[in-house]
Amino acid sequence: MAQPIDASRPRLARGCRLRITNNDNDAVVLFPEGALRLEGPGRQILEHCDGQRTFQEIVGTLQALYIGAGHAQVREDTASFLDQLQQQRIVDY
Amino acid sequence: MMTAPLALIAELTYRCPLHCIYCSNPLQMSGSKSELSTGDWLQVFKQAGEMGLLHLHLTGGEPLGRLDLTELIAGAHSAGLYTNLITSGVGLSECRLKTLIQAGLDHIQLSFQDSTDRRARPIAGAPVHEHKVKVARIIRSHDIAFTINLVVHRQNLDHLEEMIAFVEELAPDRMEIAHAQYYGWALSNRSALLPSKEQLDNSLATIGAARQRLQGRIRIDSVIPDYYARFPKACMGGWARSLVLIDPSGNALPCHAAGVIPGLQFDNVRDHSLDWIWQESPAFQKFRGETWMPDPCRGCERRTQDFGGCRCQAFLLTGNAAATDPVCSLAPGRKVVDAILLRQNAPDGALTNPADTSLRTPEQRTNDPWSYRVNPE
Repeated sequence: MAQPIDASRPRLARGCRLRITNNDNDAVVLFPEGALRLEGPGRQILEHCDGQRTFQEIVGTLQALYIGAGHAQVREDTASFLDQLQQQRIVDY
Repeated sequence: MMTAPLALIAELTYRCPLHCIYCSNPLQMSGSKSELSTGDWLQVFKQAGEMGLLHLHLTGGEPLGRLDLTELIAGAHSAGLYTNLITSGVGLSECRLKTLIQAGLDHIQLSFQDSTDRRARPIAGAPVHEHKVKVARIIRSHDIAFTINLVVHRQNLDHLEEMIAFVEELAPDRMEIAHAQYYGWALSNRSALLPSKEQLDNSLATIGAARQRLQGRIRIDSVIPDYYARFPKACMGGWARSLVLIDPSGNALPCHAAGVIPGLQFDNVRDHSLDWIWQESPAFQKFRGETWMPDPCRGCERRTQDFGGCRCQAFLLTGNAAATDPVCSLAPGRKVVDAILLRQNAPDGALTNPADTSLRTPEQRTNDPWSYRVNPE
């Protein structure tokens, strides 16, 4: 597998789910043998990985949220974040 | 206040249709009469959810042996826990699987003893391999996260590639290749299970190659045998730091094997809340933190990574539960481990090829080169 392409529709893989607690303040993604605490952009990316939105759309949303970061940088960071999670079988696309 | 544990390991029953020679259950097990009731477990799961625990690992024995398993999973799910069923697959039909998934089961881990019935049977002490293959195919036909676990050891490491190919064909999301850990029944069978250095090195290369080949398709996690390590494992993430285990009778332990350590009294969830146990139970406080640590752990920079290793292993190999884990290259007790390894690596030192193992049952165990796990009364 490789990084997502524009038309990819990332979603949480089987057996992985978001758990939001403490009045929307704490987010973790749970997977079979562990959990990742999510903060900032990581959480925003995963909350959009619903299997409906395309990678292109998710990048667009993040670019609007992080204007100072530069479009290319946001795209690159989002792609490598998803690629890492895909290799761990937390995200599929 | 200690922060809450991350996960609860619930050993629902010690009853098991398999008799695996590498089982890490204790040699002395409580019988079915003392098992917690459905209501007791549901209460524990509710408390675990309220404390903020994330994962619940349902194991045993064989958890499918509990006829109330669906109800237990439903209760855990509504308490907000991520539910993981660790099973041999014996007792799982498609119909039962569907009800477990409907109840909220998040993940199934199915174990295999080998890639063929002929080889798996003498390890499991039961003719269950073909059934497991059927169960694996049923699980894969449903939309649930699926891990296949291979326990590897001296008897099967030489054909690890074949076993990996076998698992690959069953298409789980994850494959766990776990070297046997020497507790309980596995400790009594250690000379038949502990691999040679050559076997270990070959297995690491095989696992590395498989990991690369299956990248993005099947995630491979592996556990190496700590007797060959330079530093100990962070057993259970440190004593009473992140995990709590409840045994079938309701006793709360900091780890699977803690019952071997003399003098520890375990509090029971019938008498105390899970939160009280986590905060106050003397068994949990015994080796929590660093004040119990001997030299060289006390001044070692690795003490915050491995927490001095495994307390049970320290007791089992040195007779002192407060010693540095003897697998550590810095431990005074390391010579005990080195002597064991020397024996395992001698040309004629250990059981490499026990008698033809085609059709043996636990009833024939007097002739076996190892002992099978037996069920409690």
